[in-house]
Amino acid sequence: METLKNIFIKLGSMDRRIIFLLVGLSVLFPLLKPDWFTLPIRPKQHSQIVFDEINKLEAGSKVLLSFEYGPSTKPEIHPMTIALLRHMFVKDIKVYAVALWPDGNFMSMIAFDEVAVEYNKKIGIDYVNLGYKPGGEAVIKGIASDIRTLYTVDLNGTSLDEIPMMQNMNNVEDFDFVFSLSAGTPGSKEWVQYATDPKGIAMSTGCTSIQVTDIVPYVENGQIRGILAGMPGAAEYEELVKTELTSRGLVIKSGEATSMMSAQSMAHVVIVLLIIFGNISYYLTRNNKRKGRK
Amino acid sequence: MSAEIFGSWIVVFLTLCIFSYLFDDNPFYKAAEHIFIGVSAGYWAVIAFWQQIQPNLFGRLWPKLEDVGEGSVLQSAWYSIYKVLNFISTGFGILDRSIFPEGGIKGYDEIRLMYLIPFILGTFMLLRLVPKVGWLARWAIAYIVGMTAGLRFYSFLNSDILIQIKASTIDFSSDWGTIINGLIVFIGTMTGLIYFFFSKEHKGSFGTLSKIGIYFLMIKFGASFGFAVMGRISLLIGRINQLKDYSTAEFNYATPIISIFIIICLAIWSFMDGGNKNESTA
Amino acid sequence: MFLKRHVPLFIVVIIGLLTLFGNFIDNDEVKNFVDNDATQWFDIIASFAIFLGSLNMLKLQILKIIRKHKNWQYSILAVLGFAVAIFAGFFYRGANYIVVSNVNEINLLPIAELLTDELHLENQNTVISNISDAKDGYEIPKIFMTQSGAEAFMEKLDKFDVNMEIKSKKWGIHLQAKGSLFSWIFFNIFTPLSSTMFALLAFFVASASYRAFRIRNFEATLLLVSGIILMLGRVPIGELIPWWVVAILIVFGVGAISAPWIKDKKIFFGLVVGGIVLFLSVGFSMGWNQSPPQILLIPVIQDWIFDYPTTAGSRALMIGIALGIVATSFRIIVGIERSFLGE
Repeated sequence: METLKNIFIKLGSMDRRIIFLLVGLSVLFPLLKPDWFTLPIRPKQHSQIVFDEINKLEAGSKVLLSFEYGPSTKPEIHPMTIALLRHMFVKDIKVYAVALWPDGNFMSMIAFDEVAVEYNKKIGIDYVNLGYKPGGEAVIKGIASDIRTLYTVDLNGTSLDEIPMMQNMNNVEDFDFVFSLSAGTPGSKEWVQYATDPKGIAMSTGCTSIQVTDIVPYVENGQIRGILAGMPGAAEYEELVKTELTSRGLVIKSGEATSMMSAQSMAHVVIVLLIIFGNISYYLTRNNKRKGRK
Repeated sequence: MSAEIFGSWIVVFLTLCIFSYLFDDNPFYKAAEHIFIGVSAGYWAVIAFWQQIQPNLFGRLWPKLEDVGEGSVLQSAWYSIYKVLNFISTGFGILDRSIFPEGGIKGYDEIRLMYLIPFILGTFMLLRLVPKVGWLARWAIAYIVGMTAGLRFYSFLNSDILIQIKASTIDFSSDWGTIINGLIVFIGTMTGLIYFFFSKEHKGSFGTLSKIGIYFLMIKFGASFGFAVMGRISLLIGRINQLKDYSTAEFNYATPIISIFIIICLAIWSFMDGGNKNESTA
Repeated sequence: MFLKRHVPLFIVVIIGLLTLFGNFIDNDEVKNFVDNDATQWFDIIASFAIFLGSLNMLKLQILKIIRKHKNWQYSILAVLGFAVAIFAGFFYRGANYIVVSNVNEINLLPIAELLTDELHLENQNTVISNISDAKDGYEIPKIFMTQSGAEAFMEKLDKFDVNMEIKSKKWGIHLQAKGSLFSWIFFNIFTPLSSTMFALLAFFVASASYRAFRIRNFEATLLLVSGIILMLGRVPIGELIPWWVVAILIVFGVGAISAPWIKDKKIFFGLVVGGIVLFLSVGFSMGWNQSPPQILLIPVIQDWIFDYPTTAGSRALMIGIALGIVATSFRIIVGIERSFLGE
């Protein structure tokens, strides 16, 4: 018993590089040996709400997809983007992309390059990418009032007048749904404040884990319909889309987020155990000091 | 070596340079950090110019008009400024036309001279770099601050206060579970707000309510902590996944080779740096 | 004084009031100005602020090199990095592409096969239909950073009797063209550096949690418990935690809360063990192994914590912050708040 106590006390002053190594290994092993760590993914209520909202939209509906993330948050949000685009393209929903972050341009390009080809979707007819404009909330306000004041050409330099699906699209009220892929500011919050709340447009969001608790009040009262929370949210949405596409007899590639959930789970377990051990060590050290004083 | 493989080696090298900080602050990390500062500053400047300034500012001041040739004398004089700017931007005629295409910038169909105002204010913003006239930047900052204040006043009042208060109401016609949960949210919101009211001392029943508010806030912060951990781990998984992808023969074993190289260099640096530290303390 | 203080204040007040009242004034010209032009001006000035930041960074790094401050050698890398990005943005387009036209029926399939193979495209039939549909020539979906790279690719198509032309993406569009120098810098330098900087935080979060996360009082316990439940409940491993583990933890939790009132350690220990045994016996006898009650499942507990107490705390914070922002915005609009002037 004493030996065990001493081990725990020594653990309290462990070099932080050992902690780094433990965290690194907890992520690496499941990625190297995915077959050893297969875990079931059960979609949560909020991911289901997002899925149902998109599923309700009919063919030809117009969705405004806003890219507010960059390479630093790509692992969390990009898998959601891919799953979302697959879902929308299968349902023949028209996708209009904008970016409020400069990196959003590249993220949107990568996403469309990957998914549009899978479903034989054509730019200008099935989707359009308007690109990035600096200004944050001012851009959202601009889109809410008159999109053509902000954008005259799309990302490839084609005039909006020459793009068939941009006909009669003048502001956010011409869209059936808004989806914000958000990693910070400007992001989902600003869309709620400057566009969807004032104009009464339905919206949903997929955001980084760190933003979730700040967005949750909007989700709970329906200002935002459902939320895809970080990589687990992306994995859940991938699962839902996979089930939907499989039921339609379509083959779908496995999602990126799904393959990374085992690593996520292991890392969480390691951190929880570290916190527990840290506290045990703290209490044993404190008791020793008190006994020493007595 | 193709551009793709060369690029993958660069990616792995820079990633491992940043990760080397976990060992200690070292030259690899410092070098990568400085490259990041320089490249990101240049990247942002380039994007801001081509996505906003050129199409939306210059494009409104000097649009490509249908019948420029038949324009008035004033219009010709105005477009002669365009030609001068083009001459300067092409290095006095050495380089190809880029920023100012022939005849004007395609996009808008009329000249909007009022956009000289943001042009002037923007130039004032840049004068911040010159100490003697740096105070002119205050005019540009004043515009930004004024507009932000005006935008936020309305939007936060509407979305973050009024609608949130409305959402805290309880529907007493629903089932018991919903009513209890609604009460929890209502009590949590009220007591949380009471905690932030510092104009009255937190004692007695007010103090008790404030304490309940702290409990709800602690649950919220715990949830935020959980999500923060989740988010950071997700990003780490993304990086390690990419390093794993680049460790194959297709990319000439970039990850293992560069890892070994950096580890050896760090070991040598650590040994030499440790030796230097001993000498300085001796 | 007038120019340095009063003019900026005047601008703040006028623009602030105009933006605010723009939501309520029903005049087309005013609304059009506030919603469109004023926001465009904001965007343009914001872009100049980005230039200011970049130039300021450059100025500081150059001064560091000139004055040979500590670690000045690294500043050379910062300046070089900036120069390379500016070069790729303004001086070297590197976004060449090939347009193929005059493709006859006989050559259509072999050309499509070659392109699908060389460029690792998904669907050969899509390539065939795109070539057939292209009225002004088919743009090969690959960007070449150099003219010579494009010419080398053209040599592969020389054997087919087709017209080929090398074109360049327009300035401005060249930034987004995947394969251009600027996009190469973005994907191979900017992206790994920026992503890895954020990924580093995972290690420090773990280290900080281990060293600093201590259960010193009830509030800290609440924070820790809700954090742990969330971390485990949000990921698939939470589904695997059996009901009896949660039952034992609940008994421990109740024990911890009631510990201050039970002085005798033996009685306390007996109550905790007895509680666990009772809970588990009831559970096994009621068949909770097959269908456990929802309240003993970590994901369900996590969902409840997320939907109700967390929402309450978040909402309180949101309203509090919003009140602060509204008050500060009001102070700025009426000219009381002058910190942005440096006062």
